[in-house]
Amino acid sequence: MPSASDPATTSAARRPAVTPARAARGVLLLLVVVAALSFPSLAPNPYVLSAGILVLNYALLSTSWNFVGGFTGYISLGHGALAGLGAYGTGLLVTKAGLPSFLALLVAALVVAALAVPIGYAALRVRGASFVIVSIALVLVLLLVFQSWASFTGGSRGLTVPRPFPDLLRPEHHRVFWFLFAGLLALALLVWWLIDRSRFGLGLKAIREDEDKAESLGIPTFAYKLVVFVVSAGFTAAAGGLYALWFGDLDPVFQFSILTGSYLVLMALLGGVRSLFGPLLGALVVGTALEYFKVEYGSTPLHLVATGLLLAVVVLFMPDGVLPAVAAGIDRFRPAQQSIREVTAAELREQRAGGAAAETELAGARPGGAPATKEGA
Amino acid sequence: MASEIELVDIQAGYGRAAPVLRGLSVSVPAGSVVCLVGPNGAGKSTVLKVASGLLKPRSGRILVGGREVTGQGPQAMLTAGVAHVLQGHSVFREMTVAENVLLGGYTLRDKAFAARRVEFVKELFPVVAQRWGSLAGLLSGGQQKQVEFARSLMVDPKVVLLDEPSMGLDPKATAIVFEQVVRMRDAGTAVLLVEQNARRALETADLGCVLDLGRVHISGPASELLADPQLGELYLGGRPAEPPVVPKR
Repeated sequence: MPSASDPATTSAARRPAVTPARAARGVLLLLVVVAALSFPSLAPNPYVLSAGILVLNYALLSTSWNFVGGFTGYISLGHGALAGLGAYGTGLLVTKAGLPSFLALLVAALVVAALAVPIGYAALRVRGASFVIVSIALVLVLLLVFQSWASFTGGSRGLTVPRPFPDLLRPEHHRVFWFLFAGLLALALLVWWLIDRSRFGLGLKAIREDEDKAESLGIPTFAYKLVVFVVSAGFTAAAGGLYALWFGDLDPVFQFSILTGSYLVLMALLGGVRSLFGPLLGALVVGTALEYFKVEYGSTPLHLVATGLLLAVVVLFMPDGVLPAVAAGIDRFRPAQQSIREVTAAELREQRAGGAAAETELAGARPGGAPATKEGA
Repeated sequence: MASEIELVDIQAGYGRAAPVLRGLSVSVPAGSVVCLVGPNGAGKSTVLKVASGLLKPRSGRILVGGREVTGQGPQAMLTAGVAHVLQGHSVFREMTVAENVLLGGYTLRDKAFAARRVEFVKELFPVVAQRWGSLAGLLSGGQQKQVEFARSLMVDPKVVLLDEPSMGLDPKATAIVFEQVVRMRDAGTAVLLVEQNARRALETADLGCVLDLGRVHISGPASELLADPQLGELYLGGRPAEPPVVPKR
C-alpha cells in the first residue's frame, strides 16, 4: 500500500483503486463492524456479553500495546502495569477526589501518559532483552507499591469503584460498556492506522527494522520511540480505566500481573504485530480460549499450559502472525512475476509510455508480482 | 578543483585503544571518485566513519564544501551533504524499495524536491523503478546495493561514502555496482570509495590513495597507481613474491 508519506506518488495513483482484494477487505471490515454492533443483542445471556467485554478489553489493550511493539519492535511485558495504573488512577480519582467517572477516566489516562514520559525516557534507552526486563521490573515495583500502600490504594483488600450508571441493571450495564469499549477500540485502531500511513510511521518502522540505520538516515529515533510509547501508554491506561468503571473491583495482584503483559504480547504475535487488525484477531482467539479454559477447568493452570502451547505454535509456524500468513497464502495464487531481469532506463521509459497499468504498478508500494509478506492495514 | 570533503591531519580510534588513523589527510574533488585501498587494518572503513560523523576524530579537521564540520554527528553530516552507504547489505529488508528510498530523503522538508529526487534516482537506477513496490529483502545482492545507492542520493549529497560496495557480490553484480558508481559520479556526486577489490576499484576511480598504518602512504591518479608494479605487488594483490632461492647441494 503506498504510504501517505510518498512524495512521488501522484494524487491519482494515491487514490485507492477498487481491486478484488480491497473490496474483500472492505466487506470483511463491514462484517466485523456489523458483528460488533449486533453482539449485545445476539448474546444469549449477560455472562456471554460480559465475556465478550473481556475479549474486547483484551483487544483494546493488545492494540494499544501494538503501538510500541508493532511499530518499533520493542517487546514490553510491562503494559499490564500501565493498564493497572489507569484502572487505579480512575478508581482513586472517583473515590478519593470525587470526580465524575468519565472525567476521572480521562484525567487518569492523561496522567499515565504524562508518567510514561519519564518511564519511557529511562526504559527506552535499552533495547532487546534489557528492555523486556526493565518492563517486567515496572510491573513488579508497582505491584509492591499498590499492595503495600493499603491506606491509599486499599492494598490486598482491593478497591471498589462505584458504577457510573447506578440505575442500570447488570445486562444493560454490560450493554453500555460493550459499546464504550468498542468505541475506544475503534479510536485506537484509527490512530494506529493514521500513524501507519504517516511519515512518523515510516520512521517508526525503520526503527523496528534497524534502529542504528534509521538514526543514520536522520530519524530522531529516541524522540519517536518516546512519543509512540506515550501514545501507547495513554490508550492502555484508558482501557484499564474503562475496565475499572465496568468491573468495579480492583485487586493489585490482577491489575499488576506479569501475565497480562504476556497475554497482550501473545495476542499481538498471534494476529500479526505489523497488521492493524492483528492484535484484535489474536485477542479474539486467545481471549476467548482463556475464558473457555477458566470456565471449563476452573482454577487449574490448564489455561496457562494452553497459552504456552499456543505461543510455541505461533513462534514455530507463524512467526509473523496469522494475518501475514494468510496474506502470503493468498499471494501464492497470484500470477508470479515473469522475470527479475533488470531493465534499462530506456526500456523502463518505454514500458511507462506503453500503458497506465505499468505506471500503477510502479507507483504502488506492493504490486501483485512481488510476493510481499507485509500486511497492509 | 574544489574539494567536496576534506579530512585534514585526522587522528581517530576506538575507545582508549591506540589510534587507527594517525595524521591522515585526504580530499575528494567535486565530481570525482576517490578510492582508498590498503591492507586489512589500514583504517579504510574508519576513514568513512569519521567522514560521516559515526566516529568523532580525536584531532584534525573535517571540511565539507569548505565549511568546517569537525565533530558533527551523522544527522548533521547528512544535512551537510555527506551520505554513507554502510558495509554489507544495509537495506531495510522488510520494507519496500519505495519505503527504503523515501527513508533516504527523510530529512527533506520540501516535498516537491523529494519527488524530483525520487524521479532522479529511478532514472539513475532502473532497478529501483522496476522493483519499486517489492520488499527490498527479496532483491538480489546487487539490486539491494543499488537501492542503497539510490537511498543515499535522495538528499542530493555532495559526496557519497561507499564502504565495500562489492562485498558478497558475484562478478556480474560487482560489474553492475561499479557501473553505477560511475553513473553517480557522472551525475555530479563525488564518491569516496573503500574497496577490498582494489584493482577493480582503481579501474573505476579517478584518484587513489594507498593507506597503511593509519595514514596515506601514496596518492595520485588511479591509473598511475595501477601501473606502478611495486604498488601492485604490495597492495593490489599482485604476483606473490619469488620464493627464496635454495642453494643446490
